Amino acid sequence: MGVDVHEEWTDQLSEYLDDELDAAGREAVEQHLRGCADCRAVLNDLKRVVAQAQTIPPSPLQADLWDGVAAGIQGTGRKGAGVDAAHPSTPVPFRRRFTFTVPQLAAAAVVLMAVSAGIAWQIADRSAQRAQSTVAAGGTRTDNGADVTTAPVVALERDTPAGASIVQVAYADAQYDAAVADLEKALKQGRGRLDASTIAIVEHNLQIIDQAIAQAREALSADPANSYLSGHLVEARRRKLDLLRRATALTSDTN
Amino acid sequence: MTLGGETSIQARTGDPDVALAAAGDTSAFERLYRTHVVRIHNLTRRMLGGQEADEVTQDIFVRTWQKLGQFRGESAFSTWLHRLAINVVIERRRSFAIQRERMSDDAAALDGLSVKPARADLTVDMEHAIDQLPPGAREIFVLHDVEGYKHREIAAMLGIATGTSKRQLHRARMLLREYLSGG
Ligand SMILES: [Zn+2]
Repeated sequence: MGVDVHEEWTDQLSEYLDDELDAAGREAVEQHLRGCADCRAVLNDLKRVVAQAQTIPPSPLQADLWDGVAAGIQGTGRKGAGVDAAHPSTPVPFRRRFTFTVPQLAAAAVVLMAVSAGIAWQIADRSAQRAQSTVAAGGTRTDNGADVTTAPVVALERDTPAGASIVQVAYADAQYDAAVADLEKALKQGRGRLDASTIAIVEHNLQIIDQAIAQAREALSADPANSYLSGHLVEARRRKLDLLRRATALTSDTN
Repeated sequence: MTLGGETSIQARTGDPDVALAAAGDTSAFERLYRTHVVRIHNLTRRMLGGQEADEVTQDIFVRTWQKLGQFRGESAFSTWLHRLAINVVIERRRSFAIQRERMSDDAAALDGLSVKPARADLTVDMEHAIDQLPPGAREIFVLHDVEGYKHREIAAMLGIATGTSKRQLHRARMLLREYLSGG
């Protein structure tokens, strides 16, 4: 709470730290810092954040991307001499999959950014999960006895490096729909336990995700072979399951 | 704008692969790619998030190939490449800017309600934490604190006021502070 009281000062601490304040501003901050342990603590934390950012080590790639680059630079007309390299005018076929201007794709990409990264997923084979009904982590059970673990959401590992080991499974629609229905039901039952702002966040996000799913489907129907689009669709559906699962978990956590 | 510029590029950069690649030598370009790909991928991943990093990185190198002829050796090749990469990332992000901002602010709010990650490894934590930042704050944090650009440069690259860059940086740091202190 101290942070709120001192917001006018804490708001200046990054500039102070970066030596971006003028002499008078710096002096004023220093004077406040001398008498305020809370703000000194914030400043120390900010220093730590900056120090960590500056020393963050490079992390290696999960996959060799050269083949895609090589495919992309074929057909640019630059192979061999005699081409005016400053004006490569031929569009690269490879890049076609990036040149989406369709608004649907923007929505689909939004979904990719949402919620958290570093989650490894596996969608279980429906028969297998029916048999074992297991949730490895974050398993939830609502207080009204609805067993959320019937959803085929199996493994959740928070410490997986971002982007790693996302198992994209082409699961059947029926299977997915059943999982979503289960979670939606559990969420509906536990809804009373969530505060209004949480409900608003969840519903808002669900709405965006649903829209993204619908739009990705629409775009896919026009271009069924587009792997980028189908990846988005899988991802959007995964996000929906994740969001529902987390929201449902909250209905039991917050009690 | 002809191939006559190559020798001077080589003379200025001292890296024969740059000139060779500019002349169409894909093997030389592959060597350049291997030298620089980790840094570019790290930049891209941190600015855009893990999901898009591979594709955008490939896109960056394809564009690098296309634009090599415009490289005049006025800065180091790595500096030039880095700026090109940032431009591609910014361009990519702009097309989604509004929806993304809206979405991830909500997502961040939701994350505040959920489980904090384990704190075993600060490095993993930092990567993960950066990934959770709202995009506007994230890219400025990455450019300023990770990559070492000045607010003035960031403002120019992103087409924003330096004041905005400063505010977003502070916002990012405060969010990371909260996140990394575990709650
Ligand atoms: Zn204070």
